[in-house]
Amino acid sequence: MDSFFIRYRNLLVLLVILVAQIIGLAVQVRRTDAGHVSLDPQDGPGVRLIRLWANAVVTPPERMMHSSKLGLGNLWQNYLDLRHVSEQNQDLQKTVDRLRLEQAEMLEDARQGQRLQALLDFQQKYVYKTLAAQAIGSSGSDQSRVFYLDKGSAEGLQRDMAVITPDGIVGKVREVFPHTAQVLVINDQTSGAGVILETTRIRGILRGNAAGQPQIVGLMADQRIQPGEKVFTAGGDQIFPRGLPVGVVEKVVRDPERDSFVDVIIKPAAHIDRLDEVLVITQALPTMPPQQQQDLATSEALKGGEAATIKDQKKASEIMAERLPGLTEPNAPAAQPAAAAGTQPGQAQGQAAPAAPATPATPKLLHAQHADRFSPGSAQEAPPETRTTEPKSRFDAKPLPGPRELPGPRMPQKREQTAPAGTTKGQPAPKAGHPAGQTATPRRNP
Amino acid sequence: MEVFGPNPRRELEIRRYPFLVYALVPLVALVLQAWLPRVLGRYAWFDLPLVITVYFALGRRSPIQGTLMGSAMGLFEDALSNHAIGVNGIAKTIVGFLAASVGVRIDVENHTIRLILNFLLSLLSGAIYVFIYRILLGLDLEWRWFTELFKAVGNSIIALVLFPLLDRLQIRD
Repeated sequence: MDSFFIRYRNLLVLLVILVAQIIGLAVQVRRTDAGHVSLDPQDGPGVRLIRLWANAVVTPPERMMHSSKLGLGNLWQNYLDLRHVSEQNQDLQKTVDRLRLEQAEMLEDARQGQRLQALLDFQQKYVYKTLAAQAIGSSGSDQSRVFYLDKGSAEGLQRDMAVITPDGIVGKVREVFPHTAQVLVINDQTSGAGVILETTRIRGILRGNAAGQPQIVGLMADQRIQPGEKVFTAGGDQIFPRGLPVGVVEKVVRDPERDSFVDVIIKPAAHIDRLDEVLVITQALPTMPPQQQQDLATSEALKGGEAATIKDQKKASEIMAERLPGLTEPNAPAAQPAAAAGTQPGQAQGQAAPAAPATPATPKLLHAQHADRFSPGSAQEAPPETRTTEPKSRFDAKPLPGPRELPGPRMPQKREQTAPAGTTKGQPAPKAGHPAGQTATPRRNP
Repeated sequence: MEVFGPNPRRELEIRRYPFLVYALVPLVALVLQAWLPRVLGRYAWFDLPLVITVYFALGRRSPIQGTLMGSAMGLFEDALSNHAIGVNGIAKTIVGFLAASVGVRIDVENHTIRLILNFLLSLLSGAIYVFIYRILLGLDLEWRWFTELFKAVGNSIIALVLFPLLDRLQIRD
């Protein structure tokens, strides 16, 4: 028996190690409800511990090499390679002058855009809290397109945070360690991001292929998708905010497995093959600079002022309408021909009310159930002495408004302008088209 | 003396290295493998941990040591990736075992043999990787054969340059 183990010890050791690793693999995969086998997206404690150890061993030398590379690069660029610096400086100065002018113009456009955006109540999150990080290493395998950042949970990074550059999206944080983080790049085969095509508005899922190119998979064949079309994030994946550039369509190829589907190969906007500095979106809430917040507040205030004015006008109109409840026939037609009234609305006194369109439909006088001398239309039948008598109270002398005198939103201003002598402040005054002398002959409703 | 030993040729050609070489060379290979693709981009057609595994397996001529070395390097690579831990581990375990087993029977000083061995073992490692991923685990993995071919060529060229340099680090009587 001993001779057996001694004789085949090499094979036995090999088998033991292989079986142990196969068991370890079996623990890491799982079968989904749909019957597919997939890797557990979140590593178990044991697996995470192994990754943490490997990371702890490899990261310090990587960080050192990255720093020395930067140091050597800076030494070369800042001290040794200074040829043509003077010419470059002059060119850059000219560029700066030109950019300053452009910046001034663009700043004004940006402010206007923010105001319009606020007025339209778009709550899109274009400004975020980000954290700059350096890419210090990769997985070393072309089958696993991940890289490592020099910042981790101690600096506030968390899983599933979006990683971007000013050019476009890069990937998402897959695993976080104390001082490093693993980023899954968008061209990895296991990645996924919701994207939308700019002009055709077709949505799809972005993932990588074997060649390391990001592609939108599972799209129905569509002739409208052409190379050169821009692709942005769709914002539905809870990782990438909406509207970030992804890249442009490079080509459209047929899905090898499904005939009616195509894969859209994307040329990424960010240089994902050679990344140095990236930004991690650590907060998705808007955190605008003070100047932008001030502009936004100003536009909000303007919007609020306009809304308050309109509300006041509507309220005044409603109050005046309530004061004349009997003059409006509920079943009356909405509009009355202007000619029937004998006067043109808005012509009298030469004042055209700006708020005239807001005036309700022309009211008709209702028949009085118990007519008296104050009833509309009975003024001419009243005895002459009565007509000259001073009113007993301020309500008695109230000249009824004509049929076209329903108060509009600007009623209080008009009242001051057209209030005849003898009318009391606070009473409904004769309106445009019906001066005080004409109110004695109101038109009855037929 | 050579005549009386059970395996005199093998006894003579087992190489020994300082402990630091065993510790640092694999570590440097792992670090460079993780760092260089960032510099070279998509043209990083090499697998330094595999080359180092083959070198030590051939030099030590011990299948057990080759197995352990390959297993450790592969697991390390897996741990740095986002894939399951063990895929590279199994592939490089087998490669280390085979390299050591072959090293007992052939002259590992010959450059042509080193070149061919590295080329074949690189292809074998890629094939085992794909087999485990697609057949054993049943996971989706797109695979391009010419990338593996380029990688095998790259490994062979690197081995051609690196092996003589590492030979200088061995302990000589």
